[in-house]
Amino acid sequence: MKQNISFKRYGLLTILLMGIYAHSFAQTTSTVDSSVYDRLNYLEEQMNYHKSGDDHFMVVGLTTFGFASNKTTNTLNGVSNVTKSNSFPDADHFEFSPMLLWRHGKKFLMEFEPSFANNSVGVNWADISYFVTPNVILRAGYFVLPFGTYSKKQAAGWINKLATDPMGIGDVPSTDYGVEIEGGLPFGSMKMNYDFALTNGLQLNTDGSLAGGNIVDNNNNKTFTGRLGLLPFSNSSLELGVSGMFGKTGNYGTIYQNVKANLYAFDLNYVKTFVPILLNIKGQYNIINIGDANYVSPLDPTQTYTFKNYTTNGFIQCAIRPTGIQALHDLELAGRYTTYSTPANSTFGSDQHSFSIGLNYWLSWRAVARIAYETYTGNSTASQALNAFTGTTNSNTLYLQFSIQL
Amino acid sequence: MKKYRSLHTISLGLIILFSIITMSSMNSCVPSKAVAAKTGVQLWSENCQRCHNTPSPTTFSPEIWETVGMHMQTRALLTEAERDKIVEFLKSAR
Repeated sequence: MKQNISFKRYGLLTILLMGIYAHSFAQTTSTVDSSVYDRLNYLEEQMNYHKSGDDHFMVVGLTTFGFASNKTTNTLNGVSNVTKSNSFPDADHFEFSPMLLWRHGKKFLMEFEPSFANNSVGVNWADISYFVTPNVILRAGYFVLPFGTYSKKQAAGWINKLATDPMGIGDVPSTDYGVEIEGGLPFGSMKMNYDFALTNGLQLNTDGSLAGGNIVDNNNNKTFTGRLGLLPFSNSSLELGVSGMFGKTGNYGTIYQNVKANLYAFDLNYVKTFVPILLNIKGQYNIINIGDANYVSPLDPTQTYTFKNYTTNGFIQCAIRPTGIQALHDLELAGRYTTYSTPANSTFGSDQHSFSIGLNYWLSWRAVARIAYETYTGNSTASQALNAFTGTTNSNTLYLQFSIQL
Repeated sequence: MKKYRSLHTISLGLIILFSIITMSSMNSCVPSKAVAAKTGVQLWSENCQRCHNTPSPTTFSPEIWETVGMHMQTRALLTEAERDKIVEFLKSAR
């Protein structure tokens, strides 16, 4: 009987202990659950708070800074004149340009790039794009014209393989106000792209050269600019392009109002890895033909002169980067030959050639330090009657440059 | 003058030829099976280096890559399918 009571006591004690243990465990679990739930709720709130909206605004930008040391020898009528200069920063190529991008969903994109260069602030582009269909983008505003590829794709300091722009590229106005339609198209194993613009257009300067980018058109004629690109290989390694720019240039109501300009450009871009080397070849050739006109003599405003207003310029550039060699993969060697011929018997006629060679050291995919050397030869073909003939000019320039995009 | 006329004719001829190819591609506008099957990483390695070094996926946040993708589509004239695949790769490989 006594033994029976003891068993009962032990049984009750055991049940009591188990109950206490289970209760205490249940309390711990409940506390943990509550803490985890709170944490999850907090994280969920944070996620919702930081969740991307339809719209997005961002700022990136680029800067190029450098040093240039130059020696120029000019020979005119048998007399040579030597000048030396060095500037810090390299004034011709210094640039500080923030770039602002606004995106509204996946349909609208606004782009704005102000730029501090040559001691003044300007605007590289300010436009809005509407992504109409997968292969059609409409743009309006102040944008880079689709003439060749250099101005639109290669001019940025951190993209350019050398310290300078090829000579003559600036002869064709690179930006203007207007509307543009562009897109990329699949074509079997190939790809095509098109880019057409209608802008205020070209304007004739008093010396026969061209200007552009004016907010008020100087005549009733708009300039058409277009480029067609073909990528014949499925790996997109080669792109060939042909461009045209056509329009009247003279001011309305003047004798120049019907002076037309027909410009053509041919471009090539080939980038491919041949292990261990990344080969990068780029080239562009421009033809600028402006209709005949009589220009006022700078020496005597009562007299006029004329010349065949025909300009050509072009460059071919090659860069090699040993991406497959660990010790050298941050280095890139680049060379470029440029030719530039402006109208004979004008006030600015010359035959010019330059050769540039440079070594780039890539600090990251978008930051480069470079050393480059450029030789230049120019033979004046300008009018002697207008006292514009400048003889022969030779120059050598050393560049040290740093460029980054952030 | 004769030289210019020849160049003028050649240039116009090339423009017309490229226009015809473009019109044809606008009508067909279909990539081959091999091209359509390309992955984002393939397109990233092939297309970005046409102009600049290939960007590291860790450079930007996913939201920024979307905006950069639209900007690059207008610059490089990528097709929309190419843009979407490249952006998805850059977002996922961070």
